[in-house]
Amino acid sequence: MLPAAGEPAAGDSWGMLACLCAVLWHLPAVPALNRTGDPGPGPSIQKTYDLTRYLEHQLRSLAGTYLNYLGPPFNEPDFNPPRLGAETLPRATVNLDVWRSLNDKLRLTQNYEAYSHLLCYLRGLDRQAATAELRRSLAHFCTSLQGLLGSIAGVMAALGYPLPQPLPGTEPTRAPGPAHSDFLQKMDDFWLLKELQTWLWRSAKDFNRLKKKTQPPPAAVTLHLEAHGF
Amino acid sequence: MPAGRPGPAAQSARRPPPLLPLLLLCVLGAPRAGSGAHTAVISPQDPTLLIGSSLQATCSVHGDPSGATAEGLYWTLNGRRLAPELSRVLNASTLALALANLNGSRQQSGDNLVCHARDGSILAGSCLYVGLPPEKPFNISCWSKNMKDLTCRWTPGAHGETFLHTNYSLKYKLRWYGQDNTCEEYHTVGPHSCHIPKDLALFTPYEIWVEATNRLGSARSDVLTLDILDVVTTDPPPDVHVSRVGGLEDQLSVRWVSPPALKDFLFQAKYQIRYRVEDSVDWKVVDDVSNQTSCRLAGLKPGTVYFVQVRCNPFGIYGSKKAGIWSEWSHPTAASTPRSERPGPGGGACEPRGGEPSSGPVRRELKQFLGWLKKHAYCSNLSFRLYDQWRAWMQKSHKTRNQDEGILPSGRRGTTRG
Repeated sequence: MLPAAGEPAAGDSWGMLACLCAVLWHLPAVPALNRTGDPGPGPSIQKTYDLTRYLEHQLRSLAGTYLNYLGPPFNEPDFNPPRLGAETLPRATVNLDVWRSLNDKLRLTQNYEAYSHLLCYLRGLDRQAATAELRRSLAHFCTSLQGLLGSIAGVMAALGYPLPQPLPGTEPTRAPGPAHSDFLQKMDDFWLLKELQTWLWRSAKDFNRLKKKTQPPPAAVTLHLEAHGF
Repeated sequence: MPAGRPGPAAQSARRPPPLLPLLLLCVLGAPRAGSGAHTAVISPQDPTLLIGSSLQATCSVHGDPSGATAEGLYWTLNGRRLAPELSRVLNASTLALALANLNGSRQQSGDNLVCHARDGSILAGSCLYVGLPPEKPFNISCWSKNMKDLTCRWTPGAHGETFLHTNYSLKYKLRWYGQDNTCEEYHTVGPHSCHIPKDLALFTPYEIWVEATNRLGSARSDVLTLDILDVVTTDPPPDVHVSRVGGLEDQLSVRWVSPPALKDFLFQAKYQIRYRVEDSVDWKVVDDVSNQTSCRLAGLKPGTVYFVQVRCNPFGIYGSKKAGIWSEWSHPTAASTPRSERPGPGGGACEPRGGEPSSGPVRRELKQFLGWLKKHAYCSNLSFRLYDQWRAWMQKSHKTRNQDEGILPSGRRGTTRG
């Protein structure tokens, strides 16, 4: 860390991220829930829903601390930098009609893939300079996010959907790229946290919708309350 | 967050199988600066500077069809707009900035210098790292728990801050075996500490030092030479029991067990006991409790709850000439002295098993008398134990007498003072 030493090329860090992504894809799938005699996917959907709320809460405090570490203007409430390198982040934002019309499998698959990617990027956050406490909070959040992934996998297995697998033959390669400046990295970090937040908001609604679908209808008159937008 | 059309990545994500394009993007690296969306560049990018130095920076707008020029651009530093007199337009597409006498960075991730377009949007940014090189760390102190590991603590140099992230690395090597090792587990007992969990050698001294590095330079502490056996500490004594001594209202008996981890090693343990009254914060310490596992506290206040703690020092382990390091205090154990009307003074030393309070000329004389008696008389059964039993009996009968009379004495009866 002596001065005037060159910083590692952006390609190295992205290559590493790609490697991590590939590793995550190859994680052993959560064993399928025993479907005989069990109460159905309801409880695990509820659990997943609860997890998204918990993670949302955890993220709020983590993001606050992290953005303070990045310093102003990143921690200012109306900060809205250009989205430059963040094109590869899975976007939670989606057209309302499109979102409503998603079938269960697609809905779950999108969630699973999104969090796999987001976890990958989170783990790649190279923040040597952050305090030990911040690094611990990040690690803790990653573990919780891993738990959410497992929970979603459980729901998918309970409903009989296959887990998304990476295509065979896709090898992670190191790609050369222009040097990624620290400021750009900060912007990437900002958008990662923002996208995580948006996904957790959206997932709560995804799982709420799934919960309603799998609930047995009550004997009395049913009132359908449609969720209007986000 | 705009709710408009999703980007190409998200669109392709909805068509099964959606993974290949996404994964490829992840693999090949995202479009970076220079993709066209980035319309300006700040120079220098992410510089490192000494506190008090100056910085000349430029923001160069790329060829932009909308005709953005250097006019209307402005700088912010950490979210605060910089005074216009610090900037000047160099040419049609470049805005320059001159900052002097820079202060240390506001956050260790670097100060955020941003070049904005006229409408406030961000065109480019650069992180400024302004600080000082590290100073020599000092005051390294280490201890070994039961000779199994080594924990070290140090004080960073720089009476204030370096303002930059400074990385500390604890290094160690055996004195006559040249290989340097680096400690891996940091922040175990505070921010400047490290723990070496295994593979420690005895009987040969270690050389230990700390290296501090940041963007502006590095510094190395003095080398500390130590022998593991000289810095041994152990667990606090387990099973500390505090109990009354019969009916004696000014004494409590403390018993403990020698720490089991070191019981197989030759050592003369030293112990220290401290005790305080329930509502007080002042501890009384009994020193010099050598190699025994019990002690009698005397001169205590009757009818009072006391908290007692014990700690251990593995003195002279394996022939080390030095004292070891005191263990942590054991968990406080509480006990109360029996009630009485007579107050007693505080003590400060252990009583031998016989049970002699520390002060009192009467008792001293009594002790001498009994010693003499033992030599010259036939009543070899006389002992302090007997004397204390007599005292306890005296108090009991004293109490019953008062109950009979129906009054509480004001407290100056009896022949013995604690």
